[in-house]
Amino acid sequence: MSFLHIHHVHKRFGETHVLKGVDIEIEKGDFLVLVGPSGCGKSTLLNMIAGLDSISEGELRLDGQRINELHPSKRDIAMVFQSYALYPSMTVAGNIGFGLEMRKVPRAGRRAAIQRVAELLQIENLLKRKPAQLSGGQRQRVAMGRALVRDPQLFLFDEPLSNLDAKLRVDMRTEIKQLHQRLGTTIVYVTHDQIEAMTLATRIAVMRAGELQQLGTPQSVYDDPNNLFVAGFMGSPSMNLVPARIAEKAGALVALIETEKATLALPIVRDRQALTDWCDKAVMLGLRPEAITDPASANRDGGEIFEADLEVDLVEPTGADLYVVTRLGGTNVNARMRPGSPPQSGTQTRFAFDVSRMVAFDPDSEARIRDRASVGSAPLASSA
Amino acid sequence: MSVATSARAASSPGRRITLGRAILYALLLFFAVLYLLPLYVMLTTSFKPLAEIHQGNMLALPEQWTFAPWREAWGSACIGLECSGVHGYFFNSIKIVVPAVLISGLLGAFNGYVLTKWKFRGHKIVFGLILFSCFIPFQIILLPMARVLGILHLANSTSGLVLVHIVYGIGFTTLFFRNYYANFPDELVRAAQLDGAGFFTIFFRILLPASVPIIVVTIIWQFTNVWNDFLFGVSFASGDSAPITVALNNLVNSSTGVKAYNVNMAAAMVAAVPTLLVYILAGKYFLRGLMSGSVKG
Repeated sequence: MSFLHIHHVHKRFGETHVLKGVDIEIEKGDFLVLVGPSGCGKSTLLNMIAGLDSISEGELRLDGQRINELHPSKRDIAMVFQSYALYPSMTVAGNIGFGLEMRKVPRAGRRAAIQRVAELLQIENLLKRKPAQLSGGQRQRVAMGRALVRDPQLFLFDEPLSNLDAKLRVDMRTEIKQLHQRLGTTIVYVTHDQIEAMTLATRIAVMRAGELQQLGTPQSVYDDPNNLFVAGFMGSPSMNLVPARIAEKAGALVALIETEKATLALPIVRDRQALTDWCDKAVMLGLRPEAITDPASANRDGGEIFEADLEVDLVEPTGADLYVVTRLGGTNVNARMRPGSPPQSGTQTRFAFDVSRMVAFDPDSEARIRDRASVGSAPLASSA
Repeated sequence: MSVATSARAASSPGRRITLGRAILYALLLFFAVLYLLPLYVMLTTSFKPLAEIHQGNMLALPEQWTFAPWREAWGSACIGLECSGVHGYFFNSIKIVVPAVLISGLLGAFNGYVLTKWKFRGHKIVFGLILFSCFIPFQIILLPMARVLGILHLANSTSGLVLVHIVYGIGFTTLFFRNYYANFPDELVRAAQLDGAGFFTIFFRILLPASVPIIVVTIIWQFTNVWNDFLFGVSFASGDSAPITVALNNLVNSSTGVKAYNVNMAAAMVAAVPTLLVYILAGKYFLRGLMSGSVKG
């Protein structure tokens, strides 16, 4: 029995169908991140879990109990809002203690609880201040304190870091992760930032247009995407998507990619069974930038390396890495190489493809082409 | 906003006073004097003995200062047949203004809260209808209101006037608070709901304490309107229950031969002082509140 069970949940606002039957299950202690572009329904789903939006169809279960009809305050859920939603006329202590006060916790107990949370979040010196006198990061902490103090079964975070500047965002991200590890709480977290999703989550739910695209661990979503959308959305820089043709050459299956000078034949090692049916048909190949490298930094232990000389179009150094852009199948392709001795643009250089990490998609339906028994695959409604 | 920037511009060093500026300031000064002149005449006249007024120089300062006209206006001037000054009517007005302002303000705040944070089907129509009441001329409702007050046995009483002013004020107070609360983040209400606060707790603990600017606007607006009202006062309350505006009118019209201009002026000042005080004490919030309610939307 899962701890939070979102079962076939629909949401309709009049004619518009915002959520089209979402199924998600997570266990106690999980950190679920709902990620997707704006308008995908992730915030609506969060509000429905909180009880702030009604459920048009389907069922929500928390710890085995149906909570569809339960009032927000009775669900034992706390939420951190995007704008923090601190009560402007109350002090920090008043803000944190308000939920306890409403639950008729006596004054002494309240004070102790506020103190405990303030120590945890290192905001003891701010307790007497008003929200207007706090910086963005401090407000964020108070908002989290208000959720933590009630010690609820489930925490909801609605894009909590989106109002912070870049550096603070990374710091707070680390802190949220530490807090989760220390307290072992169950969290549902909404963001449109796929890096936040990757770093924080124990499970990621990628959503688009009211539909769940994939649910799984961050690594499985990253390495084994269900479809073109997930492949393109997760990862930065994003996955290279290259049009190709499957063919048989000397008894082996290859993917033929047109380049300006010649045709590249990448051997197929992954999902070989499924791709046999795609012989002489067009597919879309997906290769992460880190799966295309210079020969020296190629992963020869676990991977299967195929090398080819290609023309360098552009070189983008980022300091830690060097992104080399070349053209394959008519699109730009990013390769991650070692910094140090960058190849000149316009010259030929040797690229190493880790074909064991190559995935293929149906260009029409955008679905992944994968072997049925492929290891590590995460079908739509997977659960741990 | 514009006030702040112009103040900064004026105080910035090295700004030269050009001819245009000089003309502008001269004009402003001229109009300021023009507007203040009646107040000046009222004040000086109220401190002059009658004999000095009859000399005819209206603009001169009193040669002999006297508080007698003020004492008379407050305590012994004749209004109709009663010769006990305006003080009784002054307190009548207080008795009308305080409950009328408080109750209409509270109802308006409540309407604004419901119309923005607990939207229901047709909330726009309801707001439109409430707003419509702002545009109804006073004169139209005189007869029906008199009938209603008669049925309620509130005719000729201060309570009746309080009711009239509450009903008439709700339109404006609702408008003020609705616009203010429309910019009040919904997430706060949602957060309070999750914290376990109910409908009234959210209103009294979260929204109302954060509404000081618009409360001040409402108080000034309602206080001024109710205090300065003459038409409702003269129509629905006569004799002992009349407000001070009506008493002032009666005082000026109760002629006993010689017109006591100094007493009239003193009585008029008594009638005007409360609204002046409210403006002076709360005026700086007035602009700020009006801005926050209307500009940012």
